[in-house]
Amino acid sequence: MPPVPALLPEHAGRVDPVADLRAAAGAAVAWLCEGADGVRVVAADGLAERVARHLLGSSTPHRAGTRARADDAVLVMANGSARRSEKAPGHLDERAHAFDEALGAALATGDVTALAGIDPVLAAELWATGTEAFAALGGLVVEESQVDYDDDPFGVAYWVVRWTCAS
Amino acid sequence: MTLVLGRRSFPDDATLMMAIVNRTPDSFYDRGATWAEDKALDRVAQVVEEGAEIVDIGGIKAAPGADVDADAEIGRVASFVGRVRSAYPDLVISVDTWRAEVGRVVCGEGADVLNDAWGGADPGLVDAAAEHGAALVCTHTGGATPRTRPYRVEYDDVVAAAISDTVAYAERALAAGVARESIVIDPAHDFGKNTFHSLEVTRRLGEMVATGWPVLVSLSNKDFVGESLDLPVGERLTGTLAATAVCALAGARIYRVHEVTPTRQTVDMVDTILGRRRPQRAIRGLQ
Repeated sequence: MPPVPALLPEHAGRVDPVADLRAAAGAAVAWLCEGADGVRVVAADGLAERVARHLLGSSTPHRAGTRARADDAVLVMANGSARRSEKAPGHLDERAHAFDEALGAALATGDVTALAGIDPVLAAELWATGTEAFAALGGLVVEESQVDYDDDPFGVAYWVVRWTCAS
Repeated sequence: MTLVLGRRSFPDDATLMMAIVNRTPDSFYDRGATWAEDKALDRVAQVVEEGAEIVDIGGIKAAPGADVDADAEIGRVASFVGRVRSAYPDLVISVDTWRAEVGRVVCGEGADVLNDAWGGADPGLVDAAAEHGAALVCTHTGGATPRTRPYRVEYDDVVAAAISDTVAYAERALAAGVARESIVIDPAHDFGKNTFHSLEVTRRLGEMVATGWPVLVSLSNKDFVGESLDLPVGERLTGTLAATAVCALAGARIYRVHEVTPTRQTVDMVDTILGRRRPQRAIRGLQ
């Protein structure tokens, strides 16, 4: 889930510039919360944490529901490069597209090994946020993956991806 | 306060554009451009497209000129109001008239608002509004006779006079049966006022807003703008918009205008700066 500040209510305009992302994020968070006793947020900074808390607060978890597995629900706040075009926040870096392509493929397939191997120096140079958190996912086995959102409407690569992992 | 203008209600944070539509051959700004009825209807279509919530139809120019009696005024505006009503069922139609006789006829044709630019010169106008459930704009003219220019007018305190007269007029309308939420006050820039008076009213508009009555301002291309900047009619838009911004800051609710789009943008920008209105779409730095 990308920690996009435009998702916060204090940044709302009369027209929502991230309506599609908001809808995808809201649905995914509701799914995540369903049946969970609590959600662990992995966020790189305070802003990402606030976005996560807002999304969690606006979801309507059905805590009475049951799940086959009992482990934590985890919400990882991260996005790809913010240097994907000349209009992007970080202007264009030609390396951004290849970086994001690899990141997107790993997210879509639940390739934890590939995610853990992301070069943190390159990620920082490309203004990718939160990707260092994937290094802590070692040992996770992703059983199912679903991509709800995959776009870069403002020159920043966003994904909303649901993983179901083996316990 | 919620505003009820005939068939439409507006929440208390809404600002409204009242577009001037002249059915006159001699008004100062358009010099008869919409004298022909079809041209006037085109003007209505244009201002509706630009987002005006209200049209203000007038059959007599404010300045001295050829006499237009009540029958002639009715001839100029009444059937036109009916045409506009048929074409735009939800549009708020205001008629700029001081005559009760005219007010009754145009309300019968579908007018929602009687805009009395001459400060209650005809004491029966409040009754006409009350009878038809119309809204009323109560202006301050310092007691000027309709269609006269100010000449050596003095006030001890022009803002106090404007507040005193418009509030008294509003209360008279209320007593006559006009709904409280359908009464608007207007300091009437340039009416019974020299440029210094109009500038002071602009500067201190917040005092009128503080009365609690919704305030209408009519600033568009007027002489106080022209004299402030030494510019003729036709070159006063920037000055008009600056005055508009000051009135928006003070909390004016209705803006009677020639140019709808620039005025709407000015008022929206001021309201957005003040936090009364959200930005239309904010993404810069928030991606």
